[in-house]
Amino acid sequence: MRKALGLLLAVGLLAGLSACGPQKAIRAPCPHGSVCLEYGNGSEPVSLDPPKTTGTWEDRVMGEMLIGLTQNDPEGRPVPGMATSWETSPDGKTWTFHLRHALWSDGVPVTANDFVFGLRRLMDPTTASQYAYLLFFIKNAEPVNAGKLPLTALGARAIDDHTLELTLEHPAPYLLEIAKHQTMYPLPEHAVKKWGDRWTDPGHYVANGPYKLVSWRLGDRITLEKNPLYWDAKSVCIDQINLYPTIDAIAAERRVRRGELDLNTDIESNRVAYLKRPDQMPGYVHTHTYLGVSYLVFNTQVPALADRRVRLALDMSVDRDFITGKLLRAGETPAYVFVPPGTANYQPIIPPIWTTWPLARRQAAARALLAQAGYGPGHPLKIEYKHSNSPASMLVAPALQADWKAIGVVTTLAEEEGQIAYQDLRVRNFEVGSASWIADYNDATSFLGLQQSQTGAQNYGDYKNPVFDALLAKADNEPDAKTRAAYLARAEEIMLGDATVAPISFFVNKALVNPRITGWVDNLTDWHRVQYLCVKGAR
Amino acid sequence: MFRFLLRRLLVAIPTLFLVITAAFFMMRAAPGSPFEMSRKLPPEILAHVEAKFGMNRPLGVQYVSYLAGVAHGDFGPSLKYQDKSVLEIVREGFPTSLTIGLSALILASLVGLTLGVLAALRQNHSLDYSVMGIAILGVCIPSFVAAPLLRQVFASNLGWVPTGGLNGPISLVLPVVVLALPQIAIISRLTRAGMIEVLHSNYIRTARAKGLSEPTVVFRHALRAAIVPLVSYLGPACAGLITGSLVVEKIFNLPGLGKSFVLGALQRDYTLVMGVLILYASLIIALNLAGDMLLAVLDPRVRLS
Repeated sequence: MRKALGLLLAVGLLAGLSACGPQKAIRAPCPHGSVCLEYGNGSEPVSLDPPKTTGTWEDRVMGEMLIGLTQNDPEGRPVPGMATSWETSPDGKTWTFHLRHALWSDGVPVTANDFVFGLRRLMDPTTASQYAYLLFFIKNAEPVNAGKLPLTALGARAIDDHTLELTLEHPAPYLLEIAKHQTMYPLPEHAVKKWGDRWTDPGHYVANGPYKLVSWRLGDRITLEKNPLYWDAKSVCIDQINLYPTIDAIAAERRVRRGELDLNTDIESNRVAYLKRPDQMPGYVHTHTYLGVSYLVFNTQVPALADRRVRLALDMSVDRDFITGKLLRAGETPAYVFVPPGTANYQPIIPPIWTTWPLARRQAAARALLAQAGYGPGHPLKIEYKHSNSPASMLVAPALQADWKAIGVVTTLAEEEGQIAYQDLRVRNFEVGSASWIADYNDATSFLGLQQSQTGAQNYGDYKNPVFDALLAKADNEPDAKTRAAYLARAEEIMLGDATVAPISFFVNKALVNPRITGWVDNLTDWHRVQYLCVKGAR
Repeated sequence: MFRFLLRRLLVAIPTLFLVITAAFFMMRAAPGSPFEMSRKLPPEILAHVEAKFGMNRPLGVQYVSYLAGVAHGDFGPSLKYQDKSVLEIVREGFPTSLTIGLSALILASLVGLTLGVLAALRQNHSLDYSVMGIAILGVCIPSFVAAPLLRQVFASNLGWVPTGGLNGPISLVLPVVVLALPQIAIISRLTRAGMIEVLHSNYIRTARAKGLSEPTVVFRHALRAAIVPLVSYLGPACAGLITGSLVVEKIFNLPGLGKSFVLGALQRDYTLVMGVLILYASLIIALNLAGDMLLAVLDPRVRLS
């Protein structure tokens, strides 16, 4: 016993001693006189070859090296990139882009042909790009990708070295948004022809952006250095970037706190409030609303849930304020509509009237709806709620269970590993499921398109309303932005009225950034290009 | 000896074969696929992806072609990390795991042996009790508790070592210590038990009666026999340390193979998991064999035949 006490004392002493002040952070070596950025990137890229990627963490690396027709400004909005100007035909189906004179990092000029090559490679069935469907608005893209038409049939052509023409299937007002996306980067035809799929190896990779690839060790880091041939190299402050896969946000938080990392692109949601405390690291915490929604989906093939009254009752009785304010607590906002506020080319709709009622009234209305549908104290509605085992889903599930218990519904919680949960949603092996969606590009169709009947597997609840489908189709072919937005808004109203999904909360993006880093602007799309960042005192 | 070695190696081949076969079909039986994430791929695009990796063929055909590849030393491309082959990933990650594992083994052996011998020589004295007490504690505290505790004190508060990442040998100090702690406990207990037993045996009494000095008795005669149980433990322990560094790799953000293994399994990266599994299985077989052979050298009672 005395020994154990002694041991405890020793540990306590050590901990006390350690309060005497930490030593200098142990950081990655940085060449003398250079400005280095230690960047916690969240996850490991699966590839640095744009058509093979789908993740934002991949584009956070690639987008430092490759620049499309447009690029992100410090606030994540599209501004001229390789294209300095463009024109649109009156029907909105032909776009002509005028490109700047720029060089790849090996000195070869970037031409319109590199864009055509990049798009053809994306659509080439043998590339097997998972994200090709995103650009199916380009003429013939879908048949080309299916192998039914040759690559040359794709609606992209180089008029000359510095003029690119894109022909579309239908007007796409979000083209300038997508033009900065990883699917639309130019690819260096000369390098890809020379090295094949291995053109992404350090030493082979050529860049037209501010940085170029030095090394990549899986699980360790990706090192980028300044590309002196970038057209705006003189305004780039940071010389070297090390990007780390920081899957564990709390471990990354510790490394940022110690100064081993300068920033991390995520914060564990339930730590945000704590970290904002004055004695913690309030100057580091950045949050901003994000283009993402988490929602419940009702499987309309389940007999009980085929009844709109039942779905609506479940939808109405969820206390969103409690979920966002007491459980998630990172600044998420309660969601009563499906398309997040701030979405481009859109006018937010007025949510259903019941959203303005206090919870007690909503619960009473929900009970009445259930009674109409034939459920009551003697014959309660029994449902299963299926959700993934992510920390946020685990928090929310019991709250939903309690909300539904309050209106007399018996809920069984079924927790599954993330991949399996989504697999079950796709094959409709669920009753009520938890899902979320982050916009591929900033446009309302990125959200509403999910609920179209032809969306298939990802329309988890098998929502099918011909009026909704027709409105979305009309919007696709509408060149006038205002009319298009009105069609989309009408569609969303109809969809919410049918209550096949119940929006729960809108996402926030969260980042931990050392205050000595300047130029970081919180924004809706969560893009923060390193070319706009600098370190205090470096210049 | 040579025939023993040959026979064991011949047995290793069907063992490996069984491991590969079981793992191959178990991986494929798990729900999900490497190409499915939260967003569903359109069916024609999924078909392109599967065709690219030959996954549109019947499972039996895939199995045979995988085996043929492995026989030629080709472990295929990683299904998830498409810019790298499985062999490259193993080559990048294995040195880190190996360094941590071997360092931990050496540290644990040195400290554990010393403590064990000391405890045995002072049997039932306070030194013995404190060593064994600490040993129990060492076994009881799992690495996922010890690692964060040590990191909090020595990295976050004192700042002597980094909290994570691989920046020079200093980054490996805590991971090695964490990995070695339970091993120190086990090794010291094994050594103590072996020593106590041997010190009471007749040939030690004889040695003492001959008038040999105490150090000679302890180190030349007793220790050699006392570490026999330890050696049979060390073979598998070594394999366990090299392959089991997953927890410390994850906690300290080290680019080792253990992390790739688990991530690979979660992401259904079939080829990566298979590649690492084959490496691990071979390691375990080889180290067990090495342990057996070392035993024969140390213990004259063991005959390899």
